[in-house]
Amino acid sequence: MALDHLSLDIPEGKIFGLLGPNGAGKSTLIRIINRITIASEGQILFQGHPITEEDVSHIGYLPEERGLYRKMKVGDQAMYLAQLKGMSAHDAAVELKKWFVRFEIQDWWNKKVEELSKGMAQKLQFITTVVHKPSLMILDEPFSGFDPVNAELIRTEILRLKEEGATIILSTHNMESVEALCDNIALINKARLVVTGGTDEIRRQHGEDNVEIEYTDSSLSRKTIVVARPDVNAKLMELIGQGVTINSFKEVIPRMNDIFIKLVTEEA
Amino acid sequence: MNIKKLGIIIQREYLNKVKKKSFLLITFLAPIFFAAICILPSLIMMGAKEEAKEVGVVDRSGIVLPYLESGEVIHYRDLGPEADVDAIKADLSKADIDILLTISAMDPETKTVTADTYSVKPLGMDSGSSIEHKINDAVEAYRIDSYGIENLEEIMSSVKSNVKLHSYTIDKAGKESISESSVYMIISMVLGIAIYMFIALFSGMVMSSVIEEKSSRVVEVLVSSVKATELMFGKIIGVALVALTQFLLWIVLTLILLAIATGIMGKDKLMGIMQDDATTEMVQQMGGGAVPGTEISLDQALAAATDTTAVAGEPTGMQAIMSTIGNINLGQILIAFIIYFIFGYLLYASLFAAIGSAVENEGDSTQLQLPVTIPLMLGFFIALYAFKAPDSSIVFWGSMIPFTSPIVMLARIPFGVPTWELALSIVILVATFAACAWASAKIYKVGILMYGKKSTFADLWKWLKQK
Repeated sequence: MALDHLSLDIPEGKIFGLLGPNGAGKSTLIRIINRITIASEGQILFQGHPITEEDVSHIGYLPEERGLYRKMKVGDQAMYLAQLKGMSAHDAAVELKKWFVRFEIQDWWNKKVEELSKGMAQKLQFITTVVHKPSLMILDEPFSGFDPVNAELIRTEILRLKEEGATIILSTHNMESVEALCDNIALINKARLVVTGGTDEIRRQHGEDNVEIEYTDSSLSRKTIVVARPDVNAKLMELIGQGVTINSFKEVIPRMNDIFIKLVTEEA
Repeated sequence: MNIKKLGIIIQREYLNKVKKKSFLLITFLAPIFFAAICILPSLIMMGAKEEAKEVGVVDRSGIVLPYLESGEVIHYRDLGPEADVDAIKADLSKADIDILLTISAMDPETKTVTADTYSVKPLGMDSGSSIEHKINDAVEAYRIDSYGIENLEEIMSSVKSNVKLHSYTIDKAGKESISESSVYMIISMVLGIAIYMFIALFSGMVMSSVIEEKSSRVVEVLVSSVKATELMFGKIIGVALVALTQFLLWIVLTLILLAIATGIMGKDKLMGIMQDDATTEMVQQMGGGAVPGTEISLDQALAAATDTTAVAGEPTGMQAIMSTIGNINLGQILIAFIIYFIFGYLLYASLFAAIGSAVENEGDSTQLQLPVTIPLMLGFFIALYAFKAPDSSIVFWGSMIPFTSPIVMLARIPFGVPTWELALSIVILVATFAACAWASAKIYKVGILMYGKKSTFADLWKWLKQK
């Protein structure tokens, strides 16, 4: 079974991180939301109603395994995919031109896809995912294959689309971008939901509630210790009594990475 | 089915194929190539015939020379029985001849002569057999003469017979028409081969297109916008339109080429070439002595071409051929060709689409293709048998079984097929297409998203049963 009694609430207008180890069932879930695969049981509610064929036009999907027609011209290809999402030829042309200008790739229009580098093709694929102004975007590893400059460009675009009211499902193994972008997350493992909720809450929940103290001792060497919150005061008194200099004192919020590893290995 | 999206898919598939250089190349070169095949051999033969040859004759028997009548191509010149053969052989051009023909003195025992030719260029088959015939005629006459029978010449000419067989077909109304079985055979063969090639070509195109989408991974984006079935049928219909476009262009281009050829060469001359050489030649090559009908028609055609004394009103070979073509219901053939091509193509294209969905690259498809290509090939082979024995039971069943019927039935049609058989065969074909399309769509839907391990027939079966 690819997914087992999985229930998720994805808030509108937010970025939702979909996490899970390889083979957890993320792709199946994404395909079910996209109506590529029909679930044997259960239902998908889209903006409050059971999802229909029509709703697919309001979804933009960037699959993990990217692909475009290699022999087709960039412009034709983008027009084709936009029209399949229900745009008229005219609207598609206007919107695509805007995106091409924004990404500074106007001169690609008549190039063949096979002439593009991998990063260039990724940019084109991103445009085709969002050109029809979907209210839900499903981005599977959107940053893979991009150099840092272009990754930043995509990140900015994602945040801008969110500002404009789009809901975004971000499936990624890159925990830094989860921390930076996602308002909510769900962690799936072995076809089951492990945890879901606000990103900050989850990080706090799964934190051990520790405080990190960094000080310089009498021999002038810098040291860092992590102390559980109930013991902090006692520890501080002790240190000050020793005559050390306290450099910093901060709450430890666990990295998503650590939570991910902890939860997944606990399951096993 | 979302008709609008289906339309967009069809449009892309169609334009993508039609704009390809290879499509344009085949569309424009095929009629030229075909016309060249039709006309070139005749032109070459015409050219070859006109080369005149001077034959110097040294006749030591004294009986052959009167029989060596100069024709358009071969001119005989008597060099005298005492001519110095060795000297002439040393330099043929000095005697102003191309070929030296020497005939030995008559051997009284065997009543025969020996004949040799010497030439710089090898003697052509036509010239060789023409000379041989004439010498044989001379020796025959000499032998008959040696019996000393009175009035022999009159007896011989009254004995000589010249019977020709004319084949008529009778329809229900009792109307008779001349038929030329070799013409049926040629048309039958051309139709069978053509429909086989087109079905294989265009349904193969569908498979490549499916594989291209799967291997480039664009398919996942596509099926997030449209249903897999829409994608599959859009593709199949798009390629069908490509095929119909190609047919149309071929017909138009062939007509234009014919018009140009007639304009340049003059209608009579062109028709003359076609009749004299091409047709006779084709009939000869086709014949091979397999069917009695062929030999008759061959003789008839040859007789018509050579025998100028044909009695007026009696059909000559060429007239028979033309009349046969006239008798064939070209409208019926054209409609049958289109129906059988469309449904035969649809049937095979949907099967090939299902197979294409199961593989990631063209190379892997060979094995899975086999069960689909084998019936197609089988159809082709039965069709080859159909124009030799159109009424055999294997041909009948071949024209009913839907996987072979488009090809076999087309090969049968020139010989006449009862309407109920045609109707039944088409109904079976359409029903099978519907069933196969349904099954293929189910396999396709799952197959296009399967990556990694190579798929087997067991997998295809599993996908078919999957809900």
